[in-house]
Amino acid sequence: MKKANRVLTILMFVFLYIPMVVLIVASFNTGKDITKFEGFTFAQYGELFRDKDLLGLLGNSVLIALLSTAISVAFGTLAAVGIHSLKPKMRKAVLSLTNIPMTNPDIVTGVSLSLLFVFVGTGLLNQRESLNFGTLLLAHVTFGLPYVILNVMPKLQQMNPALTDAAMDLGCTPVKAFFKVIIHEIMPGVVSGGIMAFTMSLDDFVISYFVTGSDFVTLPVEIYTYTKKPIHPKVYAMFTLLFGLIFVLMLTMNLLQLRSDRKKASKRPVSRGWKIARRWVAGVAAASLVVGCGFLFANGRQEKTVLNVYNWGMNMADGTDGTMDLVAEFEKRYPNIDVRMSEYESNEVLYSKLKNGGISVDVIIPSDYMIHRMRNEGMLLELNFDNIPNFAYVDEQFKNPDYDPENKYSVPYTWGTVGILYNTKYVDEADVTGWELMWNEKYAGKILMIDNSRDAFGIAQYLLGYSVNTTDKAELQACADKLAQQRPLVQQYVMDQIYATMENEEAYIAAYYAGDCMLMMEENEDLAFYLPEHQGFNLFTDAMCIPNCATEKEAAELFINFMCDPEISGANMDYICYASPISAAKEYMEDYLAESEIVYPDEELLNKGTSYQFLSEETSRYVESLYQGATKINSVSTEEEPSGKPIVWVAVAVLAVGGGTWFLIRRKKKKH
Amino acid sequence: MSKELIRLRDLTMEFDGERILDGINLYINDHEFLTLLGPSGCGKTTTLRIIGGFLTPTEGTVVFDGECINDVPPYKRQINTVFQRYALFPHLNVFDNIAFGLRVAKMPKEEIEQRVNHMLEVVSLKGYGHRNVSSLSGGQQQRVAIARALVNEPKVLLLDEPLGALDLRLRKDMQNELKRIQQATGITFVYVTHDQEEALSMSDTVVVMDKGRIQQIGKPEDIYNEPKNAFVADFIGESNILDGIMLADYKVKFFGRTFTCVDAGFEPNEPVDVVIRPEDIDIVEPDQGHLVGTVTGITFKGLNYDIIVEFKGFKWLIQTTDFHPVGAVIGIRLNPEDIHIMHKSEYSGMFGDYSSYSAEYDELTEDAGDEEE
Repeated sequence: MKKANRVLTILMFVFLYIPMVVLIVASFNTGKDITKFEGFTFAQYGELFRDKDLLGLLGNSVLIALLSTAISVAFGTLAAVGIHSLKPKMRKAVLSLTNIPMTNPDIVTGVSLSLLFVFVGTGLLNQRESLNFGTLLLAHVTFGLPYVILNVMPKLQQMNPALTDAAMDLGCTPVKAFFKVIIHEIMPGVVSGGIMAFTMSLDDFVISYFVTGSDFVTLPVEIYTYTKKPIHPKVYAMFTLLFGLIFVLMLTMNLLQLRSDRKKASKRPVSRGWKIARRWVAGVAAASLVVGCGFLFANGRQEKTVLNVYNWGMNMADGTDGTMDLVAEFEKRYPNIDVRMSEYESNEVLYSKLKNGGISVDVIIPSDYMIHRMRNEGMLLELNFDNIPNFAYVDEQFKNPDYDPENKYSVPYTWGTVGILYNTKYVDEADVTGWELMWNEKYAGKILMIDNSRDAFGIAQYLLGYSVNTTDKAELQACADKLAQQRPLVQQYVMDQIYATMENEEAYIAAYYAGDCMLMMEENEDLAFYLPEHQGFNLFTDAMCIPNCATEKEAAELFINFMCDPEISGANMDYICYASPISAAKEYMEDYLAESEIVYPDEELLNKGTSYQFLSEETSRYVESLYQGATKINSVSTEEEPSGKPIVWVAVAVLAVGGGTWFLIRRKKKKH
Repeated sequence: MSKELIRLRDLTMEFDGERILDGINLYINDHEFLTLLGPSGCGKTTTLRIIGGFLTPTEGTVVFDGECINDVPPYKRQINTVFQRYALFPHLNVFDNIAFGLRVAKMPKEEIEQRVNHMLEVVSLKGYGHRNVSSLSGGQQQRVAIARALVNEPKVLLLDEPLGALDLRLRKDMQNELKRIQQATGITFVYVTHDQEEALSMSDTVVVMDKGRIQQIGKPEDIYNEPKNAFVADFIGESNILDGIMLADYKVKFFGRTFTCVDAGFEPNEPVDVVIRPEDIDIVEPDQGHLVGTVTGITFKGLNYDIIVEFKGFKWLIQTTDFHPVGAVIGIRLNPEDIHIMHKSEYSGMFGDYSSYSAEYDELTEDAGDEEE
């Protein structure tokens, strides 16, 4: 029995720690593949410490964690003292109130905080950028506070209340009594509360995601965008270091506890060495706080113009794999401008982020139909082409496009096609006959469908022979039915996640953008690209625009001009593998790209592509709801159904509130 | 000894509508050892905390050295307190605990050292300065608490049941120690206890309290010998309390007999409470006694026997060194000085009848003996 117990305990620890061990091992791996250990190396750590961006993000996270912890500890301790001095009944009520944010789902806290910040910032204070460092810090303090209070309260309750009286009796004012006596009594609670708040802050993603602006991004929020693509092993190295940090913190906390327990048990006075150690810890904490504040201050005092560029993920050359680091190059040419990049993953996400407000970005790169929509809704600023002389390099065929007929709002960035990427090892060439490949039951469970309503409907429309810009409800419904029919065959609806899945051969067939397909084909030789020319395919353009929330219009125009420099554009295409709307850029591109038929299909083929136009607001919404119905929920939803749904939710809410109240009342009654 | 230091005037204290103190009037002289004595809940600790400044009275004033100090916070009063469970600071060692008040007052370092070391000697803890307070015994902690308060040389030292947590033997030693320290320093002590023996043996003045009111103030001997009402008579020591009628000065009638006593100044035929201390009663042969009764219970107490004797349906407690078995018929004699006469009060009829001996006995001495009816 005892033995079985021990075995179980060991198994439990293995279960708990094996993921961490895998990660740590991976961080020392020479190979890139996480499944094969090829040799021991510290190279990833070296790379990590050379990656200024990653370290900067880590610094951001640590800074936020330190500052929010310091504030939480200060206010939480004071709050606990205040709550402790309340009458017992009131104390209980207040305590349960302070505990709610801790049990509240993060997503709810995140969304509600975000709403509040935008409401106050944009609505009341008229700020351009209401989500920023301050709101992120406030949010972290919000969820850190309850942990401090929760840890300090028991210490206050355990404390002999006469100690405060004794201190006052001996000449201390209440404030002095707090610092000379009470603080020492509750210190273990303060420290453990602080450590909890620190770790919570350090790894928070959900809340941060909603309240962070474009100027200050924490590590977890940034890493979220990484996981959709193959993770670079240097990230493993960083995780290992982070784990180490948390581990040491926890160990310290437990040792502190052990120490104080033992001190009480053995009744020995505190040793000198221990006192010194304590002072040292306090010193380090204080120093790091000062450094953190200094860093913040230095950051805040920067006199450079900050240009916020909001771009698709992996859509600008950043210096990896021998490409040019465009941001660095731009900053070299314009030393007074500091470029900050942030990323979105679809046109729809970009649209809603801008529409919700609260962020301020200067350059965005949406696709054609979205530019049309934003232009219609007055979300874009007119460009001053005097600042963009390089616009002259743009090919005539890309000027004055349908989505911006007078070419006032946009400058093309890339163009490309949507086609089918398939694995020749598993897919029979005979089956590659058109978009119907995406519906072939032979490959059920190995098909990846593109995860946005416009492209998904486009594919169905090409297959069914409708116009991609149809507004006919019957045709749209037919498309939705077609997509619903495809649902059981689909492994996953994906965007950037496609990379790992296709490269690792977990799926065989996918519809995606040509440029990305090129990149994947470089990684896996068995992959091939196919454009169903007889049925039609999407020809898209992404173009640079300045949204009306921009604060640095002139710098933004400089940046757009910079991107139109043929040399820069060419270097950029080397990284993203899309086609440039600037023919002159081909000279600066690697030959295989410039000559690729996938990137630059011939004229004849190109004529068979069509581009999306902006449908009406109403149609967009209709398409979106059809899409959600067809792909996300089992049944194909009809129009009438949604009106019934909210009632269900209201009922659930009422039940929950009612049940909760009843429970509370009963509990209270029992007490009396 | 004669100078008045503290005066409490019409103190009333209410918590949540409940009256804890009800019109306390009291003065405390310089260099006095004054004890507030009473059962738990009588308001003695509340009174002490008001003097210390930890509570503000609902009504009434606290005068210190001629000035009203109602609104003076504790840290500005020249008063220090020894708390019920010591309230030593666990994060400081013995020396630092004692030096706490001096450091808050920003006294020079050398002087602090000198005074703390002197204090350690006074409380017989020389060489204990570097010890952790949690490593000390209860008695030692008690002495640290006293030293910590006294080192500030307050005008008044408040002690809130300081010996309550100690065992009997240690308590006796500390009583002597406290009395010695008080005499040596000349500081006014205001001492709170529910232990009547402690109060009688240490104090210059005893204040007996019950239900938020002062029942009697006096020297220990006066309190014992001349209790003002049935509560005091019963709370201080043991008493048989009977209904009587004061026929005239020095003549009291009870149990149908007239006795000579030493009290005077009552109305003729005034109903009174008669107190007879169990240890004052002389047991004689039945035929020589003023009263004759039957022994119904006996308990051996070491120094003496407690016997319960029934006189015409009324049971008395008598303390005697001789053994009288249950059922024995004995006579008693009462000398005039053994009889104490009190005015009737709200407490009349509530105490001094040993018919339900066991329960009352237990409650008062917290000492379980053999019980017999």
